[in-house]
Amino acid sequence: MTVRQALLVVALLLAVVASGVQVALVSHDVRLLHGDLEAAQRAQDEHLAEHSRLLLERSALSAYQNVERVAETELDMRFPDKVEQLAP
Amino acid sequence: MKLWRHYVVVILFLLGCTGVAARVVFLNVTDREFLQEQGNARAVRQEVLPAYRGVIYDRHGEALAVSTPVAAIWTDPSFVQLSAEAVQQVAEVLDRDPDALAAQLAASAGREFLYLARRVPWDVAERIRALGLDGVYIRREYRRYYPAGEMAAHVVGMTNIDDLGLEGIELSYDEHLRGRPGRKTVLKNRRGETIEDLAFDEAPRYGEDITLSLDLRLQFVAYRELKAAVAGNHARSGSLVMLDARTGEVLALANEPSYNPNDPEALASGRRDAMRNRAVTDTYEPGSTIKPFTVLAALGTGRWQPDSVIDTAPGFFSVRTKMIQDPSNLGAITLTQALQKSSQVGIAKVALDLPPEAVFDVIGRAGISEFIGTGLPGETAGRVSNQGLGNPIVQATMAYGYGLAVSPLQLAQGYLTLARGGERMPVSILHQDRVTREGRQVFDAQRVRTVVEMMETVTSDAGTAPRARVPGFRVAGKTGTSRKVGPQGYDDERHVALFAGMAPATDPRFVMVVVINEPRGKANGGGAVAAPVFGQVAARALRLLGVEPEVSI
Repeated sequence: MTVRQALLVVALLLAVVASGVQVALVSHDVRLLHGDLEAAQRAQDEHLAEHSRLLLERSALSAYQNVERVAETELDMRFPDKVEQLAP
Repeated sequence: MKLWRHYVVVILFLLGCTGVAARVVFLNVTDREFLQEQGNARAVRQEVLPAYRGVIYDRHGEALAVSTPVAAIWTDPSFVQLSAEAVQQVAEVLDRDPDALAAQLAASAGREFLYLARRVPWDVAERIRALGLDGVYIRREYRRYYPAGEMAAHVVGMTNIDDLGLEGIELSYDEHLRGRPGRKTVLKNRRGETIEDLAFDEAPRYGEDITLSLDLRLQFVAYRELKAAVAGNHARSGSLVMLDARTGEVLALANEPSYNPNDPEALASGRRDAMRNRAVTDTYEPGSTIKPFTVLAALGTGRWQPDSVIDTAPGFFSVRTKMIQDPSNLGAITLTQALQKSSQVGIAKVALDLPPEAVFDVIGRAGISEFIGTGLPGETAGRVSNQGLGNPIVQATMAYGYGLAVSPLQLAQGYLTLARGGERMPVSILHQDRVTREGRQVFDAQRVRTVVEMMETVTSDAGTAPRARVPGFRVAGKTGTSRKVGPQGYDDERHVALFAGMAPATDPRFVMVVVINEPRGKANGGGAVAAPVFGQVAARALRLLGVEPEVSI
């Protein structure tokens, strides 16, 4: 075996070791990213659920019945019976 | 030294090793597939990732249908036996009778799946989870809420317990609204708890949102007034359609009776009658609301002018075998007055002077006899036929709206054409965003404007519908009262009261059709029953739409 061949074997050995380490690192990364994805999906789910609840809450508060009731009872407003010009 | 004993042990040991090695090779090579499969079947599961159904909004972004997560609580009686104490705790949280729950569990002992509760609010499910019970599982499902409730029930529709569209927009745009659930592969332990995610097979695709052209505020006012009118007149039903005169969009579409889509019982109790969207599925004889189109046909000949005089004395005349009569003798009246006072004799005489197909042709071009195609389920094409128009009886009766049947939506389409000055616009229930829509000019604009001006006299004190008036605005419209067909021909007791109109008359902002079916009060004409609904709704609608008053009173 020449020196060159020996060097080649050593280099290949190193490469094998390095790729092995890479495989371990990448699979670790995959696990981490997988966890992130999971968390992001959960967060998305929660936000969507929150959004739907808020939409319902808003429509309950802004319902026209409510607006009319508040205007008439609390703000003492009324629906005009005729046209009145208040300013020119 | 007995060396042989030493060798015996070594040989036995080697044999054992060989045996184990052989077994390993067998398992790994020969039985591998089988074992892997068995292992996966026990531990690897596909889980469904739920997808939201799209939200339905009104034109201003108010929610009309929203899905929100709720929980289904279930257990596997064949796998875990819940202790009496656990049953007690679960029953307490779910607000159920513990004995009944225990009995239910005992009865389904052999089953692998049993719902303890469905559609449970999420906070209740969290309390169940907090109990930390083995064998009680929580599954997420969705419940659809309809904030507008019965107000917009016929347009929005509803879904069934599996989240599929059953009625209304929920049904016709189901494909669009429905989400596609995703899938992922997970590793589970013996107890069914997820240990690890193995792969995401497919991401869930959320359903798309839909924005309708309805204006919830107008819808509310329309439904409230319609409901009050149906109740006040002891009517069978009522419908109201309001179209945006600028875009042809449906601003409000209400029917009474209605139903509450938030109440699943509404389905079970078989109230199909209340679920029908009468404004698009039912047809009525439009009666005198057709008269403006007859007048338009008359103006089209050039021989008739608004002030042309018709002699209606003595208040009745016969066409072959049919007697056509007015409630009172109006004498000699102008064409405008014939419309204003809704004279059958006057309009019939005008119609007989026209070519046989003239009125039919105008009705068709205005879009009244055509299928509208909004996409709402069950839409009718109406029943307008040109058969027998050679017969003067048919020709005369069509001129005042008998012998044809159209839906309130179709009639609204016809009045939209009048409001647009003869331009026929497509009607849509979906919000048209930034799309400039153009119709087709089907009538001479000037003649249509003349007809609308003539229709303004209907809401004057001398007209048939002063109660459709809105202070500060000019309102054009036409009343209609038709008798319903009973077993012995037209029934004198059962009527349909209609009013169709537009406001403001000079530059219409909306078109509205009100139909009250079979009023049984003191009055049952269109002017007394339907016109006030128009007036009330129009007054609020004009203000909500921010239209400036044009006349001072």
